[in-house]
Amino acid sequence: MQATPHPSTHAAGKPALDFTWPVEGIARAPYRLFTDPEIYRLEQERIFRGRCWNYLCLDVEIPKAGDYRTTVIGETPVIVTRDHDGKIHAMVNRCAHKGALVCLKKQDNVASLTCVYHAWNYELDGKLKGVAFRNGVRGQGGMPSDFDVAKHRLQPIRIENFCGIIFGTFSEEVEGVESYLGPDMAQFIKRNLDRPLRVLGTHSQTIHNNWKLYAENLRDSYHATLLHTFYTTFKVNRLDMDGGIILSDEKWHHLSFARRAKMEEAAEYSEAKVHSASYDSALEGPGLLEAWEEFDDGITHSIQTVFPNMCIQFTLNSLAIRFFAPKGVDKTELFWIYLGYDRDTEQQSQMRIMQSNLTGAAGLVSLEDGCINEFVQRGTRNDPQCSSFMEMGGRVAESEKNSRATEAAVRGFWQGYRGIMGF
Amino acid sequence: MPSVIEKPAAQSSGDPCREAAELIASYGHAMDDGEIDLWPQFFTSNGIYHITTRENHEAGLPIGIMRCVGRGMMIDRVKAFHTANIFEPHTYNHIVGYPTMSYDKASGCVTARSNFQVVRIMETGRMELYATGKYLDVIQQEGGSLKFRERVVVMDSRNVDILLVVPL
Repeated sequence: MQATPHPSTHAAGKPALDFTWPVEGIARAPYRLFTDPEIYRLEQERIFRGRCWNYLCLDVEIPKAGDYRTTVIGETPVIVTRDHDGKIHAMVNRCAHKGALVCLKKQDNVASLTCVYHAWNYELDGKLKGVAFRNGVRGQGGMPSDFDVAKHRLQPIRIENFCGIIFGTFSEEVEGVESYLGPDMAQFIKRNLDRPLRVLGTHSQTIHNNWKLYAENLRDSYHATLLHTFYTTFKVNRLDMDGGIILSDEKWHHLSFARRAKMEEAAEYSEAKVHSASYDSALEGPGLLEAWEEFDDGITHSIQTVFPNMCIQFTLNSLAIRFFAPKGVDKTELFWIYLGYDRDTEQQSQMRIMQSNLTGAAGLVSLEDGCINEFVQRGTRNDPQCSSFMEMGGRVAESEKNSRATEAAVRGFWQGYRGIMGF
Repeated sequence: MPSVIEKPAAQSSGDPCREAAELIASYGHAMDDGEIDLWPQFFTSNGIYHITTRENHEAGLPIGIMRCVGRGMMIDRVKAFHTANIFEPHTYNHIVGYPTMSYDKASGCVTARSNFQVVRIMETGRMELYATGKYLDVIQQEGGSLKFRERVVVMDSRNVDILLVVPL
């Protein structure tokens, strides 16, 4: 049996919950983790309010001065704005007066932020500008003479823009985003996103499971060809059976990739990268899989997670961000943000559009993920003392560059989770 | 399946809007009766079926939730439904409002808009409102019967509960 990795010191000194991790360590996850409201509450504090960078939105979603959009960190409502100097700010979406939501729309363009309740008015960076009836009405009422607008504001959130992704954190201690990601993860995000982006469409899905079951599912490269049988059913010649898993130093982020096998790397593909690569298949509508080789590294499919609740997919040419927001202990909203590049030709955009059929709420390849985690939720909720068993590929969390038949990245998630939760 | 799509042109009522309204009604009935195999036949051979959200539609964004261009892609969807995709069994009940329609004599096309509500019934007996929205259709003759040349399904909500595998 492997030694259980020691929880790191992140959560040292925090009050202990009556909870003990099984001695087998990260190859087990007690089912209680998916159903216990007290653990869920602690996650809001230790993860989403803790030393993590959280996905907020994309730079390209708020291009103009005065643009805002709303999102969440954990269950905390958040506003992201662009001010008149083009600078991006994030703040808790909660009026400094009575605590009402200040912004109600998903996105808008405004001169300043005004709470509808008592018209407290804020600058785009969250500083309080003015208060209605501050000096009273006809000399009566008003705020006390020592009221100081400078002492009230929307609670600011530290942000960083990395490759057009706006990350936010409540932590002053956490290192910068690039260090948080580590070199391997940061490099692959740059490969995928470090150029002007274009949003091609969005939607969301409600999945009836704890958010961590989806976090596991994304890292579970073992299930890919077993649960998702679209490629095998349609005999799609994927040319990408070679692949592996890379974990970040903390093990909680991961990158799973599939690579076009070298022997199959026909000369015509590498010489004419803009031409469609034809994927042999039994499809009646093969236009679905028209694709082109976008990168020189031969990687055709990748899934990359950033702890706690973000993922970047590159499925053939279908680039998307997935963000999954906890909505209670057994409910999660999964957002799909499909992207292309500004530089894409019309033909390339069309290929990305058709390939969007592969994923999402109606994804031919992966729609099963919408229900499979719910099946686990329903199967486990009455037995919190039991645990899952995850020893495919060993009992530790280490990168595995030659195989994806492993649960290494799932164990990696739990290693990071135990560290930050102090479990 | 009682459907106008199988009806030869000679027996048609001659009123294209009335026939288009029947096509729209028949489509909902076929889906509710579990006749997913017939689904591609409701479209012209190069027909377009696109499910998107109101938010994407109004912003002019091209990616929604499902997009089929040509009957071949619809046939693949049906095959995936039967043999590849895994989901909890369920059925739909469509309530489709009477369409507003206009007939363009020159092109022979009927353009129609109808509102829908779809209730999803799970095998556990759970029933719930699954989707509401509007159908934006372009309908034309092909092979002696009316078919959808384009059916854009604009869902009011951005959110899909669990997953979407049976076309709306």
